[in-house]
Amino acid sequence: MIAPTLSPASTGGPILRCSNVRKSFGANEVLRGISFEIPAGSVLTIIGASGSGKSTLLRCLNHLEQPTSGEVYLDGEPMGVRIKPNGTRVPDKAANIARKRAQIGMVFQQFNLWPHMTALQNVTEALIQVKGLDRAKAADLGRNTLAKVNLLEKADDYPARLSGGQQQRVAIARALAMAPKVMLFDEATSSLDPELTGEVLEVMRQLAQEGMTMVVVTHEMGFAREVSDRVIFLHEGQIDQDGTPEEVFVKPTSERCRRFLSSALS
Amino acid sequence: MSETLRQSLDLSLFWEYRYTVLAGLAQNIYVFLASAALALTLALFVGLSRVSRHRALRILSTGYAELFRNTPEFVLLIWVYYVLPILISKLLAAKFSLSPFLAAVLALGVAYSGFLSETVRAGIQSIPRGHVEAGLSLGMSRFTILRRIVIPQAIRRMLPEALSQFVSLFKATSIVSLVAVPDIMYQVSMINVDQMRPLPLYTGAALLFCLVIIAATQSINILSDRWRKRGWA
Repeated sequence: MIAPTLSPASTGGPILRCSNVRKSFGANEVLRGISFEIPAGSVLTIIGASGSGKSTLLRCLNHLEQPTSGEVYLDGEPMGVRIKPNGTRVPDKAANIARKRAQIGMVFQQFNLWPHMTALQNVTEALIQVKGLDRAKAADLGRNTLAKVNLLEKADDYPARLSGGQQQRVAIARALAMAPKVMLFDEATSSLDPELTGEVLEVMRQLAQEGMTMVVVTHEMGFAREVSDRVIFLHEGQIDQDGTPEEVFVKPTSERCRRFLSSALS
Repeated sequence: MSETLRQSLDLSLFWEYRYTVLAGLAQNIYVFLASAALALTLALFVGLSRVSRHRALRILSTGYAELFRNTPEFVLLIWVYYVLPILISKLLAAKFSLSPFLAAVLALGVAYSGFLSETVRAGIQSIPRGHVEAGLSLGMSRFTILRRIVIPQAIRRMLPEALSQFVSLFKATSIVSLVAVPDIMYQVSMINVDQMRPLPLYTGAALLFCLVIIAATQSINILSDRWRKRGWA
């Protein structure tokens, strides 16, 4: 049983809100005005061709990339900017951005485990350094979280001794242990062999069933269709199709989305 | 010719003076340890500055590294021992001098911090960006990421290169007798003044240096092999 910490329902609003987010790298505009909301406990999947801006969008959500314009709100609070009493917006302090990031879990395509730490140390590091837990408490919580992704027996192994699927499950446990309000998955299975994707998708499926709010960038169309509450198809940095899995996968209105799906599913 | 060879290989005289020579070796080790610590500390700051987001810091640190990497240790030692005190005396308007030991540590420490800062820079830049982003995404500060994620990994990656720098540094301690630090070379020269038998004395000194370096290198190789087996070096 994976027990995610959900956003306080008291706010009633969406956990994450993206408002007209644009992002340029030099002259190249990668995101061209993206807006959406994610209610608590729902799963949003972002699909699209390579280079359509999916990963950049995900990275803007936790401010690993700073949007060129537009805003992201976490539980009603703007990410990366501070609103002064007179209404002007100024860049937020690094400590405030970090505090908000700690509430957003992120799982990367390349796992990004720290190779000099064991699986357990990877999970407990932020609990100790960011949340200020003492080592014993962090280790308890770390072991519980590793047990939830079925990796308790690998707690003392270094990442180099784990398979790709196991490494990615440790990375999920590392993000999950922080009890985030929302989890971001950036092509979490794309660098895994087909036989290893299943174990990672299973953990993600379980999380979704238990009510974790999730934003998932994936090429696994079957998984997207099965697990998502809402699917967004990105094309050249814009939302080209947006709807329930049924609307997007079965009767897409966008010709581009139809073509993408037929090539992705074939 | 064969007599010369026999003399140079007859180390009984060297053995006779073993305690004096060992006292000299202790001096080499002290100078080495102190200058290695100084070099490593400076190199860490300079290496980090070289990958800093601030341009001024990058320029300054690159200038520092280039200056000291390209100045021979011998010249630097003479400059620190003879010129630096004069400059400081003029600046302070008071008499200032450096002990031979301090001058040697300062000169070698600064010289090798130039080399080591390059190793530190390369080590830090070899850490994948994703490791830093994983830390950021968990809410860690940049300083915590540096301290807990980047530096521990960078040190392990730097180890083979740093090891060869430290071997060079230990060899370089053989020049400190120039400013009268009583090291091996100094002691051997003193014995030679007395005995006038340079061949076995200097051959013995060379062998002793060799022995110490081989022993140290082998121990560190064993250590880094152990790290490699654990998968994190």
